[in-house]
Amino acid sequence: MDDTTRDELLRLFESKLKRAAKLYLETCSRCGVCVSACHVYASMPQAKYIAAYRAEIVRRIYKRYFTKKGRFWKSLGESKELSELALSELYEAAYSCTGCRRCMVFCPFGIDTQLIMSIAKLLLIGAHAEPEILSLLADTSVAKGESLEIFREGFLESIKTLENEVVERWRVEAGQTPIPVDQKGADLLYVALAGAHSIVPAAVVFNAAKENWTLSFFEAVNFGAFVGDPVKTRQILDRIVNEARRLGVKEVVICECGTAFRVMKSMAKNEPFKVSSITEVHARYIREGRIKLRKNTLEGTVTYHDPCQLARNGGVMDEPRFILRALTDDFAEMSPDPVMNWCCGGGGGLVAMGEDTLDFRMKSASVKADQVKKTGAKILATACENCHTQLSNLNDHYQMGVDVRFLSSMVADALE
Amino acid sequence: MDKISYIILVPMVYAAFAVLVLGVSARLVAILRTPRELQTPIYPASGAPYLRALYDSFLMPQVRRHAPVLWVFLMAFHACLLLLLIGHLELVAQMPWEKAFPHQIFLGKGFVGLILAVSLLFFLFRRFSSPVRDLSVPEDYYLLILLFLTVIFGAEMDWARNWYGYGEMGVDQYRQYLTSLVTFHPALPYEVTSAGHRFMLVLHVFFANLFLMVLPFSKIMHAFLALPVNKLRRG
Repeated sequence: MDDTTRDELLRLFESKLKRAAKLYLETCSRCGVCVSACHVYASMPQAKYIAAYRAEIVRRIYKRYFTKKGRFWKSLGESKELSELALSELYEAAYSCTGCRRCMVFCPFGIDTQLIMSIAKLLLIGAHAEPEILSLLADTSVAKGESLEIFREGFLESIKTLENEVVERWRVEAGQTPIPVDQKGADLLYVALAGAHSIVPAAVVFNAAKENWTLSFFEAVNFGAFVGDPVKTRQILDRIVNEARRLGVKEVVICECGTAFRVMKSMAKNEPFKVSSITEVHARYIREGRIKLRKNTLEGTVTYHDPCQLARNGGVMDEPRFILRALTDDFAEMSPDPVMNWCCGGGGGLVAMGEDTLDFRMKSASVKADQVKKTGAKILATACENCHTQLSNLNDHYQMGVDVRFLSSMVADALE
Repeated sequence: MDKISYIILVPMVYAAFAVLVLGVSARLVAILRTPRELQTPIYPASGAPYLRALYDSFLMPQVRRHAPVLWVFLMAFHACLLLLLIGHLELVAQMPWEKAFPHQIFLGKGFVGLILAVSLLFFLFRRFSSPVRDLSVPEDYYLLILLFLTVIFGAEMDWARNWYGYGEMGVDQYRQYLTSLVTFHPALPYEVTSAGHRFMLVLHVFFANLFLMVLPFSKIMHAFLALPVNKLRRG
């Protein structure tokens, strides 16, 4: 690696050295309590998959360039040069971590390995060594925000084709649009993913609850966050924030996408609208009696996988259970404590990277498959697109024999 | 030899405290001056994040749950460290609480030092085996060895008094020596320079000085950072 590239990468590193990052990099005592936290290590017990080991790969570079001790007495903390080899180690650390932050619950100091991995991801972007597909997807999202007019007509046409499906499942009143788009004065802006499965059931439930809602032009998923690019993360988010401001909505509701919900919830704190997940909204409708569900129509035991970004990192833990208890009396928890639930192994951009990561995703999540099998459930519900894809892959690979379902679809199917 | 002892017992002590105070202050200021970034807490968020962070920092519930044996040693180690800190403060001057709770200076009849030494050996041996070995760097071993040496020579003096009735060098002499340092009129009492086990004091102070000097640049900074870092997790 030439000096110019290294200097450029170190400038990127420095840009990430804000207070929390510094505290996390300075505080680890390498006590090893996090050893049993990571699903990757639990499934494939190799030191490189221990949370503290991953963080140490970034920390060693930090010590070498940002601490005097590491500069003058390298062996003391095994500080390390930023080299091509270091980049490949950073890649392996960052893209074998799903950012589930289970290790943060184990750590006596609460060190956030995901935040440290975000430094690794930014360095990889700087070195043009990040997974190309994630950057491409992020660029496409940004481009859509910059030139909405080009996408507008095509989007509206494709939504029209979905409206019949909505009407078939829930009657609409005269003059009501089954899937309203770009409605000023709507109370609620729903941000979906590309695909009917994310739009139709949600629309059905909104209409059943007589919600004054409108659908966003943009997809919720934030590929900028997956690839660890703070600029693109903000640009992708701002498309939705600006749309919500323009329409003057009171609430932005994020579809079943854990990362999109966490990013919106944490980065749009000071906006004039509330941020909710679709799961929270459905639970609210049931509580307020705005929708009624048919109970016990599901066959077999139902269990629920907590998407990490929605539960541990987003605070949505009680609502999915409330919904499931309204749907069935045969519900089995897979973990005694939702905070400690195992990650499905698909987060951090791994699912978005598709077939390239499939083998690793399957091997690294055997603990999840075992956990699901132990419940004896026939239906595995979840509320995140990434988790759904990964759990479906696990279902095939480990022959778990479950039906992997989106919680929002289950609600829509059970409407009275 | 006397010259070396004097250097260790007087100027090096001042140097160690200067490095400790300036080093820790500089490190804390450097961290606190950096701008904050967006940080998501772990949910369910605590209604009283400071109290929760205090609980996390002082009682380490995460360690108790996931590594109970380590937790027993960690709690014993840190509790004994606190007792020793109080003991050393009481050597410097009479503390207001001494009258309210009359007690012998250095509580524990020698066992506090013993618990510390055993805990340090446990931490050290734990690092010799995987998977903690895979995580460890030389600093981790050096610090434990340095702490062990500091503790073992300090504890030996305590054991000499408590267990073997060795009264030649006692609390009065230590207090005389430390008070002279604190008032910036350093003087070494006759007993401190001539007692048979004075080498223990010299070595104890030497290793303690080294420890204080490396503390601001080591992971022992967690003594100061545990609370703010835990607060981040609790919102």
